[in-house]
Amino acid sequence: MNIRCFGRGMDEMLQAFLLFWIPVSMVPLGLWYSMSSPLPSSPMRGRFLAFAGIVLVCLSPWTVPSSPSTAAGHLLGAIIGPCMLIILGIYLISFSGNVPVGKLPRSDRKIGVLMAGIGFVWLAGMHWWVLTPQLVPNEVNPYWYVFWPTFILLTSCLASCSAVTLLMIGEQRKAEANTMFIVSGLSFTVLLLGLNVDGPLVTGDEFREHLWLAVADLAGIVVGSVLSILVFALVIYLYERSLPEPKSITPPTESELKQVSSLIAAHLGGEEE
Amino acid sequence: MFTWRMMILAFLLPPLLVLAIDMTFYGGFKGIDSGVSFTRFANATLTAYTLCSLFLLGNLFFYGESRNRPWAPLVGMIMATALGVLATVFLIGQGPMLLEDNGSVRAQAIYNIIHMFVSSGAVLVAVSVALGVTFSAITSQKPRNDFELEEE
Repeated sequence: MNIRCFGRGMDEMLQAFLLFWIPVSMVPLGLWYSMSSPLPSSPMRGRFLAFAGIVLVCLSPWTVPSSPSTAAGHLLGAIIGPCMLIILGIYLISFSGNVPVGKLPRSDRKIGVLMAGIGFVWLAGMHWWVLTPQLVPNEVNPYWYVFWPTFILLTSCLASCSAVTLLMIGEQRKAEANTMFIVSGLSFTVLLLGLNVDGPLVTGDEFREHLWLAVADLAGIVVGSVLSILVFALVIYLYERSLPEPKSITPPTESELKQVSSLIAAHLGGEEE
Repeated sequence: MFTWRMMILAFLLPPLLVLAIDMTFYGGFKGIDSGVSFTRFANATLTAYTLCSLFLLGNLFFYGESRNRPWAPLVGMIMATALGVLATVFLIGQGPMLLEDNGSVRAQAIYNIIHMFVSSGAVLVAVSVALGVTFSAITSQKPRNDFELEEE
């Protein structure tokens, strides 16, 4: 999927603002609107707004080829297929098992395994085969180097963490923990392969460099998010502390207590079995 | 028995293993440029702080619904977010310390935001996969009878 420059009709910054940044902002706004508005039609409208935003962001490499930011839109278009396959596949596997509600037919399990497998192979093909997202021929989308190591490393870390959690908290969850150790081991194997086996466009050394940048990135995200949450908590704490004590009300009178007692008595008890 | 140390160690195990393998086979930390990694860490911290503050600022509207729409926390959080923006602009403007392959403060700031979106997307997909596989591993087991003892 290569990008070719089209003619420029308007100012580049205005073009990027209208055709990239507004669609980007439509996604969280649409989700927020669909969840928060009390109107019955708003969930549908909000979802449509978010969907339209995603489509416009995916189209941005063609609509705003001059902006380097649209490489992210290009990446989104490239990975949305395999990621959806993986997530839908896992959904089918989960809900075709022993769940009390929303149970799917047992046959969906095979379809789910197939979908998730195809999704992973598709992503691996982006590293070791001809599917690598390229902005122009032989130029890898720079954001692919951000997404791929972060995803593989974090999957391995979280699966390992989940396995240990299942062993520590769960009762008789050894089989499930082993499954999670296998997932963590598989992700780790993909990571090691990435470090040692070159793809047609991505070398092992490049992957190694970006892997450590992904570690720095994840550490930065954790530190920054924790800092902002602490500041948020501090702001709320200071505001709540500055509020005056709530006014005390007078205790209930004798007649009020009698009324409450009669109401409670009327709603207590039940039929004899 | 549940311990946080075990959880953190399990989480950190894969990167530590990569480090150990690198040290064994290459005799050092191959591929790690501490300057570039620090720049990325600092940019990620500033961007995550600013964007997360902005998100929490949005949440204050829901908090305000139950508190008669107070201005004080809103102003406080706007100040905290503005602090993040100003710190980002100031620190990037100091020179090459926080500038990656970008020529200006604005280009670096925009790059940071896009970079954060991509990283967050990767985090979201990884969390979905890990949680989803855990859930499917649990649901794929035979149903248990948790009331066996009570019935006996």
